[in-house]
Amino acid sequence: MSTTLIEPIATDPAIRPGVAARALAATKRYGSGDTAVTALDAVTVDFRAHEFTAIMGPSGSGKSTLMHSVAGLDTLTSGQVFIGDTDVSSLDDKRLTKLRRDKIGFIFQAFNLVPTLNALENITLPLSLAGRKPDAEWLDLVVETVGLANRLSHRPSELSGGQQQRVAVARALASKPEIIFGDEPTGNLDSRAGAEILDFMRRAVRELGQTIVMVTHDPVAASYAQRVIFLADGRIVDELTEPTPERVLDRLMTFGD
Amino acid sequence: MFRTTLKNLAARKLRLLTTSLAVLLGVAFMAGTLVLTDTIGSSFDKLFADANAGTSVLVRGEAAFSSDMGDQRGRIDASLVGTIEGLPGVAAATPSVEAYAQLVDRDGKPIGNPGMGAPTLGGIWSQDRQLSPFALDSGRPPVGDHEMVIDKGSATKAGFRIGERASVLTKAGTQRARIVGIATFAGADSPGGASYTLFTAHAAQAYLTEPGKVDAIRVAAASGVSDADLADQIRAVVPHRTDVLTGAQVTAEDQQSIKDGLAFFNTFLLVFAVIALFVGSFIIYNSFSILVAQRSKENALMRALGASRRQVLGSVLMEAVAVGLVASLAGLLAGVGVASGLKSLLGAMGIDMPGGSTVLTTRTVVVSIIAGLGVSVASAVFPARKAAKVPPIAAMRDVAIDTSADGLKRPVIGIAVTGLGAAAMATGMFGGGGIAPVGLGAVLVFLGVAILGPVLARPISRVLGAPLPRLKGTPGLLARENATRNPKRTSATAAALMIGVALVAFITILASSTKASVARSVDRSFTGDLVVDSGAQGAGAGGLNPSFAAKLAKLPELGAVSAIRTTPAQVGGTGTMVTAGDPETLQQILDFGVTQGSLDHLGRHQIGIADLVAKEKGWKVGDTVPVRFAENGVQQFTIGATYEAAEQGGEYFVGLATYEANVADQFDTKVFVDRAPGVDLATARQAVDRAAHDYPQADVQDRAEFKQAQTGEIDMILNLIYALLGLAVFIALLGIANTLALSIFERTRELGLLRAVGMTRTQLRTTVRYEAVIISLLGAVLGLAIGAGFGWSIVRAMSGEGLDTFSLPVTQLGVMVAIAAVAGVAAAILPARRASRMNVLEAITAD
Ligand SMILES: Nc1ncnc2c1ncn2[C@@H]1O[C@H](COP(=O)(O)OP(=O)(O)OP(=O)(O)O)[C@@H](O)[C@H]1O
Ligand SMILES: [Mg+2]
Repeated sequence: MSTTLIEPIATDPAIRPGVAARALAATKRYGSGDTAVTALDAVTVDFRAHEFTAIMGPSGSGKSTLMHSVAGLDTLTSGQVFIGDTDVSSLDDKRLTKLRRDKIGFIFQAFNLVPTLNALENITLPLSLAGRKPDAEWLDLVVETVGLANRLSHRPSELSGGQQQRVAVARALASKPEIIFGDEPTGNLDSRAGAEILDFMRRAVRELGQTIVMVTHDPVAASYAQRVIFLADGRIVDELTEPTPERVLDRLMTFGD
Repeated sequence: MFRTTLKNLAARKLRLLTTSLAVLLGVAFMAGTLVLTDTIGSSFDKLFADANAGTSVLVRGEAAFSSDMGDQRGRIDASLVGTIEGLPGVAAATPSVEAYAQLVDRDGKPIGNPGMGAPTLGGIWSQDRQLSPFALDSGRPPVGDHEMVIDKGSATKAGFRIGERASVLTKAGTQRARIVGIATFAGADSPGGASYTLFTAHAAQAYLTEPGKVDAIRVAAASGVSDADLADQIRAVVPHRTDVLTGAQVTAEDQQSIKDGLAFFNTFLLVFAVIALFVGSFIIYNSFSILVAQRSKENALMRALGASRRQVLGSVLMEAVAVGLVASLAGLLAGVGVASGLKSLLGAMGIDMPGGSTVLTTRTVVVSIIAGLGVSVASAVFPARKAAKVPPIAAMRDVAIDTSADGLKRPVIGIAVTGLGAAAMATGMFGGGGIAPVGLGAVLVFLGVAILGPVLARPISRVLGAPLPRLKGTPGLLARENATRNPKRTSATAAALMIGVALVAFITILASSTKASVARSVDRSFTGDLVVDSGAQGAGAGGLNPSFAAKLAKLPELGAVSAIRTTPAQVGGTGTMVTAGDPETLQQILDFGVTQGSLDHLGRHQIGIADLVAKEKGWKVGDTVPVRFAENGVQQFTIGATYEAAEQGGEYFVGLATYEANVADQFDTKVFVDRAPGVDLATARQAVDRAAHDYPQADVQDRAEFKQAQTGEIDMILNLIYALLGLAVFIALLGIANTLALSIFERTRELGLLRAVGMTRTQLRTTVRYEAVIISLLGAVLGLAIGAGFGWSIVRAMSGEGLDTFSLPVTQLGVMVAIAAVAGVAAAILPARRASRMNVLEAITAD
């Protein structure tokens, strides 16, 4: 047995060193017949570890659907998704929940925080749900990075929108997940607060070695990423590395968004 | 706006239903009670009308006085039958007897319990079919002294068959007689559950009354003679102090006595229906408050689009009307079912009902609809006003859920209302104001504490939930925070449970205080070892034949043996019970605690009086009081002594000679026994048990058993009240479930977020469950505090009447808290399941 162990792993299409998550011919269809909508059309994509990836595309192009599917919040009509070497589509609710808790971080556009918990409790929420103690050093570093040290005992209602998103970023980082997903995390913020958040996210990747996938409509936001994937009609239509706002805008123009 | 209301209703059918349920149950109980009492009343009306159908005139002794046990009258001479038969207007006359007679079943156990349940009676089998309410179902009439006819109900209960011999306990001792016939009473198996043993006129007088004495004479008029004319004819020939009534009057009187009994029963049950409705009103109030808060954005939009305040108010109230209508109509329907349930409950308590079709009166319909509609609309008024106050601008803003910044207003009003309630209760209990101010005061106390609720909810819930984060981790922490995040909602939900718990705690404390007081009084006054109790109480309930005490007195194993007897009598103008015994022997076993005078040589016209009565009436030793027994006229008695032991010695005490001279039937109710020196308790008890063998109703008890038996009735009543209050508690639990369901709906996105970042279904269920537990514990704690307050006050108020020991049954109250916690878990089952099953992605993207 031990000799054959290496082989399947090496040939498994899911496992590639340096890949944090991947979608394989991921297809998502809503409805059936004439009214059927294909939100994702056989999308295959790798999200590399320690990389900041942005997903862009016109409204309705399937960005959220792709992200939700990879993050184990939504199920595919066909195809597979992997987080690390785990086949997400094969998991039951219990394992899926554990996977989200232990290996994935989330930053939503709004309503990111539990209103009854203070900032610190929100940050450590996935850890405490797992019954784990946070790594104190790491937690300090994260809190420091997002600049929340003196706001930790505040409830979300006592924080500004930007501060709330910072707490969300800190929460996503706190458990050192394999990958962090953000669906328009700066969509509700003004440009200055947005820039702050994006800066934290970039630093989390560069300095702390995290992996982030972010959906955005904003070329400036996308320019914080190292790689931009363009989606249209449920398909990946283009890709850009080392993006600048201008280059992103140029590409977007060609899809007529 | 009206259409919006309908749409709201249609969209929330399920919620409408669960909200209605809170009121529906109360209405169902109310309607059920009314239907039941109407049904019973009408079937008894018919029963008595049938039973007296052939009787034109009834002749009986005049009522000497009235007591708790009803009118007390002496017997009349049987020879009057002949006199009456000789009158020209009379077709037939037959003597009638209604006296204690109790059948003994094949195992030697007496059938029925006249001390607590329906009476067990004996009478004369009338040969005149028209005049007798009884008709043979099978067999034949009795002929000799040792033959009898029994009612079909008793025959069925004991499995007696015709030709069988059975024992009957009577005043003249235990009789063995052959059952020759089984009879029905006006078509029913027995008259309202009472058992009947019918003998020949001769035997009935020998066993049940005394030769030449009967209780009444039934007369049938000759054709062409009216009942009234016949009554006049008879009045002219009967002696003084004889009552002559027409058949119609007798029927009316019988029907009235059932009505009076039913009225008490009706009120008793209605109290619980009203409690259930009161609890339901909290749930309506709370549900509407939550709905209005959740819909405030929608209402603001309506206002911004031009709807007036009045229209918004109207739309909320319309929804309440719909809830009320559903609740009343469905409650009314369910009430018919409840009525049959209650009927079998009564059956289980030994009260048989004659058959008859269900009676649904207009009054029942009207009262149910008014109650259901009234409670729903009245409870929704405050939330509706709040909805109407939402400014149009709120449509543009995010709506804050709870703005409970009432400042000092709330505590001040809450304390004022609570204080007002406490004052009303105090005037009722201490100022002799009666039950009405006590009830009103209790309602005010509940309302006052409910108003204070939001102030109390947060700190108390924090304390109650303090161990949760440690025990249950983050789900526990979230449960505690959820329970405290919206104090108004939490406290209104808990308040509903608080009411039920307070009442349960109150009667539990009352019962345990009563038991403790009785135990203390036994310890204080009873110095003997054993008591033989007949279980009988008062007139017609029979008791032990005095030969039993005489037999015990001869046993060498025993020391002092002394019996007491009790009869209704009128003392100083009030109907009451008088106890009698031989003071000399009795005082060897019973310490009367004589405070003045002496009981030792109580003369034929002397009476002893308990201190509490003496104080109340302002009597003292040497005073003269008028005393009247049923058989004789008023006599003047001198007070020979006053004493403390009212519980064991009775409020009034006379010597045996006095009793025997004035009371027709001699039965011992209890025999107190002391063992002879040097004899151990077991031996003494064996001796008494042996002697008791021939006396089936004799219940031999040691001191502990005696204490318990004296309070046995309390446990029965307690269980009945628990069962009835169970409804109020159940409704409160529905309220908890409803609040949780609404809260969960409101927190959809938050729950979605929690699930997205890794909360498992189990953890989510835990969070919901413990939120419910905190709410129910909050209700239980507040309820216990109020219940203990009520209990303490009543013990203080009644300390003069023998309730002198306040006892807090800590274990029972602890069990109550535990039950509340478990009930909270139960209430959370459905909401928790619903929360844990929600689709994470849908929840998190929900608006
Ligand atoms: N629950 C659903 N039922 C039916 N169709 C859906 C559902 N969710 C998404 N869709 C459709 O799938 C397609 C992709 O939706 P998705 O939300 O992924 O787009 P998006 O790229 O995130 O858009 P946006 O930029 O507006 O957020 C759209 O056409 C959408 O209408
Ligand atoms: Mg989207």
